[in-house]
Amino acid sequence: MSPAGARHGSTRAAMSGHALGPLRREWTKLLFTRRTYVIWAGLLAIPFITALAIKLASSPPGPGEGPEFLSRVIENGMYTPLASLAALIPFFLPLAAIMAASYMIAGEAELGTLRIILLRPVKRGAMLLTKWVTAITFLLVGLLLVVAGGLLFGGLFFGLQPMVTLSGTTVSIAEGIGLILLTALFALAAMACMVSLALLFSTLADSSLTALIATVVLYVVIQLLVSFSYFDWLAPYVFPTYFNDYVNFFRDPIAWRPIGKAVLVFGVWSAALTTIAWLLFRRKDVVS
Amino acid sequence: MSDGRAPILTTHGLSKEFGALRAVDGLDMEVCRGDVFGFLGPNGAGKTTVIRLVLGLIHPTAGHAEVCGHRVPGDRQKALRHVGGFVDDPTFYPLMSARRNLRLLGSMTGPVGEERIDEVLEIAGLADRADSRVGGFSHGMKQRLGIAQALLHAPELIVLDEPTSGLDPRGMKDVRELIRELGRSGTTVFLSSHLLHEVEQVCNRAIIIDKGRVIVQGPVSDLRPKGLAVKVLTDDQGKAAETARSAFGPGAVSEDDGYVIVKAGEDVPELVRRLVADGLAVRSVVPATDQGLEDFFLELTASDEAQARPAAKRRRLLAFGTRR
Repeated sequence: MSPAGARHGSTRAAMSGHALGPLRREWTKLLFTRRTYVIWAGLLAIPFITALAIKLASSPPGPGEGPEFLSRVIENGMYTPLASLAALIPFFLPLAAIMAASYMIAGEAELGTLRIILLRPVKRGAMLLTKWVTAITFLLVGLLLVVAGGLLFGGLFFGLQPMVTLSGTTVSIAEGIGLILLTALFALAAMACMVSLALLFSTLADSSLTALIATVVLYVVIQLLVSFSYFDWLAPYVFPTYFNDYVNFFRDPIAWRPIGKAVLVFGVWSAALTTIAWLLFRRKDVVS
Repeated sequence: MSDGRAPILTTHGLSKEFGALRAVDGLDMEVCRGDVFGFLGPNGAGKTTVIRLVLGLIHPTAGHAEVCGHRVPGDRQKALRHVGGFVDDPTFYPLMSARRNLRLLGSMTGPVGEERIDEVLEIAGLADRADSRVGGFSHGMKQRLGIAQALLHAPELIVLDEPTSGLDPRGMKDVRELIRELGRSGTTVFLSSHLLHEVEQVCNRAIIIDKGRVIVQGPVSDLRPKGLAVKVLTDDQGKAAETARSAFGPGAVSEDDGYVIVKAGEDVPELVRRLVADGLAVRSVVPATDQGLEDFFLELTASDEAQARPAAKRRRLLAFGTRR
């Protein structure tokens, strides 16, 4: 160490806060994590694999086979991003959301950086909210990669044409892309619940793997419960029930009511889970 | 205790329980502005828990701390604007460079200029590794980076948890010199350490805790055994021992490694006068090396029989091994 130690006070850093600073910081951390690129690459691979598999298949999937819209991909590349989203929404996208959010607090605790962050004058609530926003924007980028990749590979393999809705009407390519983007946003709203749930477990655990496993187990248990008719009464109250309501964008006119109800359920669940996470995190003893 | 200086860090009946374990028990402590304050205690004494409480990482069961005039945990955020430091081993984002880590951490308090980052990296002796990934850093380099981040926003109070741990002798010397410089420049340093001679070297005041309770606190110069001993070397050690015994009593004199050890306290001049008066050629009179803060520390913290027991058992086992 140089004797320059005595100069430590010569340049007093400005103490004022910066509104976008925390978000930029979280994104910097995200971009310096290999897991981020693995998840994005995985999401981008789905439309490529979907388009390639259908292109190479001797007989394309028939109506009702596989995820929604899959049978239509061979007719029109515009359906590639939709089929990809349909394939992702039940499990892979929730898994990506859980992987991102479960790391947010528990991963930092595990690494030991949580304590060095919390020695800075940050509000725990603001920090948690920033991490929630970061996980959501991370998924938004992933979903946009799926949409862009779907349109790219679908267009290359099958060409892009006006889409036929579930009601049988035709919409232009531009309108179709708009509906695809709305579907992606709907998926993002659905994933807000998964992010909040994983974030909640992340505040409870000191290991991101524990938080991840706990969230996945809970999600699988919910899915399992609502699959039994005995628990039909439970279905309207749990968010996975509404994950496939994006199909209402493809009716003419768009069925906004079920979409609105689904988004409301997602919002309520996400807000409730994030509030619980905040209540736990603000009193959490950071000992790791 | 404060010499009229304002306190910068105080704790008031600070307590923390983890289940049935009372890690910190009604701790009252006062650190004044400008102090280089040593925080001592054996393993498990509750030192790190106290630091975590003071910095708002954990919540007290009872009591509170006041840091730079702000109550913790209530006004933790305001208090931390004036504090820099680290608890346990400082940890960073391994895939980022040292510079990027500092930029990222600095942005949490407010914008930090590149000039300041260069400055703290230079102070920490990491200027030549500023753009290397932290993942490749040794433990000692991470310690240095921890110090750099602690200095980043030039805080009034710096809390360092064993900052020389993992450093080579040169690094230890540099860190101690830096701490002394910080103290001279008016920054208050709260130094938790296991190295008692380190605290003796750099701190003006210190506290010793054990089982979460204060054993003693005050100026480091006061934290010494009252019966200070000296090692005496003369031309006739046998006669010197007799002279010392007659002057200070048999219990105050022992012999070790060719020296006569005399617990002379403040009466060293009297001891020398007697030796000379008895016709002895006094070759050297030096403080007994094991009679510093370390001895005092062990004396205070080993008062509990439960702590003395494992040492006695170890001695018995060693003796048994030797006999076999």
